[in-house]
Amino acid sequence: MTDINLKIYRFNPEEESVGKFVEYKVPYVDGMVVLDAVRYVQEKIDPTLAIRWNCKAAKCGSCSAEINNRPSLMCKTRVDSIGNNISVAPMGAYPNIKDLVTDISANWSILKKIPPFTPKPGMEKPWRIHPADVERSKEFKKCIECFLCQDVCHVIREHNTKYFGPRHMVKAASMDMHPLDVLDRSEFLDDEGGIGFCNITKCCQDVCPEHIHITDNAIIQEKERAADLKYDPIAMIIKRRKSRKEKVVK
Amino acid sequence: MEETFKTIKTDVLVIGAGGAGMRASIAVKEAGLDVVMVTKSLLGKAHTVMAEGGIAAALGNVDPQDNWKVHYGDIIEEGVYISNWKMAEICAKEAPERVFELESYGALFDRTPDGRILQRAFGAHTYRRLCHVGDRTGLEIIKTLEDQILHRDVKFYDEMYITKIVVKNGKACGAIGIKMNTGEFHYFQAKSVIVATGGCGRVYKVTSNSWESTGDGLGLAYEAGAVLKDMEMIQFHPTGMVYPPGVKGLLITEAVRGEGGILLNSKGERYMLRYSPQKKELDARDVVARANYREIQEGRGTEHGGVYLDITSKGADYIKHKLPSMYMQFMEFAGVDITKEKMEVAPTVHYQMGGIRVEPETGHSSLEGLFAAGEVASGLHGANRLGGNSLADILVFGRRAGIGAAEYSKNVKDIEVDTKVVNDEIKRIKGFLRKDGKNPYELIDRLTTAMSDHVGIVRTKEEIEKAIKIINELKEDYKNVGSLGSFKYNHGLLGCLELGNMLIATEAISRAALMREESRGAHTRVDFPKKDKNWLKNIEIKKANSGMQFDVVPVEEMPEEYKQYAKPEEY
Amino acid sequence: MVENVTSTKNTGETRKPLIPVELTEANWRFWSFVLLALIAIYLMTEFQVPVVQGLTDPFYSPTILVLPLVAGFRATCYAYRKDYHRHLFNHPNACNTDVRKEFKGRKYTGETRLFRLENYHRYFWYTAVAILPFFYYDLYIALTYQAGQFTLSLGALLLILNTLWVTIYTFSCHYFRHATGGNIDCYSCPVNKKSVRRGFFNRISAINHHHEMFAWISLASFFLVDLFIRGVGAGLSINPILLNFKW
Repeated sequence: MTDINLKIYRFNPEEESVGKFVEYKVPYVDGMVVLDAVRYVQEKIDPTLAIRWNCKAAKCGSCSAEINNRPSLMCKTRVDSIGNNISVAPMGAYPNIKDLVTDISANWSILKKIPPFTPKPGMEKPWRIHPADVERSKEFKKCIECFLCQDVCHVIREHNTKYFGPRHMVKAASMDMHPLDVLDRSEFLDDEGGIGFCNITKCCQDVCPEHIHITDNAIIQEKERAADLKYDPIAMIIKRRKSRKEKVVK
Repeated sequence: MEETFKTIKTDVLVIGAGGAGMRASIAVKEAGLDVVMVTKSLLGKAHTVMAEGGIAAALGNVDPQDNWKVHYGDIIEEGVYISNWKMAEICAKEAPERVFELESYGALFDRTPDGRILQRAFGAHTYRRLCHVGDRTGLEIIKTLEDQILHRDVKFYDEMYITKIVVKNGKACGAIGIKMNTGEFHYFQAKSVIVATGGCGRVYKVTSNSWESTGDGLGLAYEAGAVLKDMEMIQFHPTGMVYPPGVKGLLITEAVRGEGGILLNSKGERYMLRYSPQKKELDARDVVARANYREIQEGRGTEHGGVYLDITSKGADYIKHKLPSMYMQFMEFAGVDITKEKMEVAPTVHYQMGGIRVEPETGHSSLEGLFAAGEVASGLHGANRLGGNSLADILVFGRRAGIGAAEYSKNVKDIEVDTKVVNDEIKRIKGFLRKDGKNPYELIDRLTTAMSDHVGIVRTKEEIEKAIKIINELKEDYKNVGSLGSFKYNHGLLGCLELGNMLIATEAISRAALMREESRGAHTRVDFPKKDKNWLKNIEIKKANSGMQFDVVPVEEMPEEYKQYAKPEEY
Repeated sequence: MVENVTSTKNTGETRKPLIPVELTEANWRFWSFVLLALIAIYLMTEFQVPVVQGLTDPFYSPTILVLPLVAGFRATCYAYRKDYHRHLFNHPNACNTDVRKEFKGRKYTGETRLFRLENYHRYFWYTAVAILPFFYYDLYIALTYQAGQFTLSLGALLLILNTLWVTIYTFSCHYFRHATGGNIDCYSCPVNKKSVRRGFFNRISAINHHHEMFAWISLASFFLVDLFIRGVGAGLSINPILLNFKW
């Protein structure tokens, strides 16, 4: 392959009000990923180019961007898989700070709102959990918080709602499906988290670099649990009777 | 001219938000003190996420014979007797507690069939000891701690690069930093400072470390006047990726060998049978790394300059279940299906055993008010680190440093410094913003190449001297380094600042490596291939008027009863 | 090292595909439904059904009676929800940012207002399960309509397939998955407790994974079989007997 035509979105809020795409030529190296190309620009052409990257191994989730209009991790997208005309834009769902860097701090305040892991009180230590029971929650714990799912989610991107976003549904599900957790966050997600705004269009599941089945395994499960507690009269009666029983047992 | 900056007052300032920094912040918060945590990158992106294998803790779930004494013995033997015995004891004793604590925070470890935490075999551990979450243990730890940080309302400033630790009357009392995403300067006024910034793997060209690990904590502490120790001990991981070039150095977890992977040279020979007939692939990292290095040097390597690591015999399902991220890593970066093909591997820089000298119980450094924990602190690992001990280290000593700093801060009054100190520092940083400055990345490239070429896995006097010469040249060039742009998210500026710390780290590494005229653990000198009894010592480094001052200090002797836990040293 | 500013809009980076993205993305299902419906309507007008037992209504079929329930089941199904939200309402029509129709300020309530009804999917599922035995009854009749003989005609074969697809579709439902085990966090608490529900849940999850595919196949076969029966009813000789033997 020859040189790469790399278009990078440049935006310096101190100097301009709108960003622009600037084209650079980068020599191709075998097995190169997009981050290599962007770093080449930063090191050899313009050191002021702002990017976020840490591990370069698809483990930290810092280098999220929209590569050829598809939200992807720069470190995980191989140049030979997308051809040598590449455009790199920052995540569109978040306010831009500079160049490819966006302000994702809104996520911290959402994460703060989700009730934390609450184990059954008075359990004998060390805890015992069957190996197979770990599996469900473990899938969600693969999340590296790259926030690509948030970026691609049309609810976050286009509409101003109270919806937390896919990442946070996965977070809540990871704790809900923890075998020793006692809380049920689905009602909270329906009331506060706006899970109803999700219309299962599954773009988040498509872009997830960790291949988590966000919609199928997290969001739909939480929706069904919320339906149990809030919409389904029969399930509500059963649940209530069950919890009354549990109270008696305690 | 007066500079504008924000002042933030707190009791304890934690620099670094990896596992150690987060655990320290939680400990300070639990002690009821005010804590501010700052980090160079985003919350939850620290180098801890790269840890794959697991946490070493002598739970004895899989091998019931295991206990803290065996773990203690392993640490001392692996550290080739220059570890701090007290730290080894604390680590071995407290690690199980920290694992259970992590579990109570919500971490989910892999389980044994009867429901206890599953432990896997790892290099040079006597028993199967590593509590793990597939091969993403670090991710699990950091996300679990992140959750705690958020829900305990620990104040944190991410993308805050600390440039200086403020010292007054011989006491560390705060720090000055630049918030990268806004370009504002911050002055943190604190009663004590915990440094948990991780290692300096990025001073090498081929490294498994992430962008952040540029030895910032070493530079900060050294400039503040703290003593550094064991800096010549740099661990090389035997298995890093080789091809394609973009991912060269990327870590392949030791768990691959723990789960049964074998090393082969290009002739198809399982050469570890020659180098280490008993432990084979699961010998200490330095042994395996040197074996790999030698095979490649002697021409039995692959075309890309590596050796083969083969786990295909385990079957596709097992590999995908036990090593999912390794499978993915090779599939997506190299296009290699590890369930069918062999991996190409070569040694890569992995860990810095040395660092800030600390007191074992509290993590207090030689500078009053300055604490350190994690990779940036030294003592536990001695001349070589056991796999999985770094995660035990960050949790055990992160907590201890937090408690230590909290105790210390309770008895200290607020120390205010003159704004002149802050102004001077801001002026110094402003000096880097200039048009005609040398490109910092170019200098960093020269530095890392020099370190990889000359102070690598096998060292000689001549080679190290070459590196020192280059470092001295770069120190001159550093005076003219600079970047365009403003303070706001300027990577060029960041490169300038990091380079300063990297120069301190590299100078310490190479000059200490030159001093230690023996081969011990990770430090291998071709001109002194034997271990030397007279070098049962640590090299300590301190800032003096004339530059770096090196002192050789004997290792603190362990009490008689502890000696029986470890094999006596042989020469 | 050429460095030049290009447009401020992010266009032209990806070649526009010849076939619209709606057709090439995984959501071609929606359009295939439309196509099937058109064929069905055309064929219905083409082949008039003769008067049977005094009933002449061309749309008359027992299916009409249960259609609202079946339609409700499918309309509230997660697989169909994805399709019509994407293609009828364009929320969003595609994942890639360049082909996405972004109307800023477009009103969007998701499944919070009227579509909150979709939470009652489970009740439609109950009725769907109640309807299922009739499929098997039909199948039984189709195979044994000649007394004492087993007759496998092409129509019966299609019915077998249809019944199979509809059954799989019904039991790969997300609600069924939830009810069988999805609502349980820990199957073996305390650790030694034996649980069959985990195995059940895992198997349902495995077929649930392909729920969207089953949704499409079952609907398509639904259409085809109904058309086939209508064709037979219209007197076309398209139903050869493949196998026939005495019990």
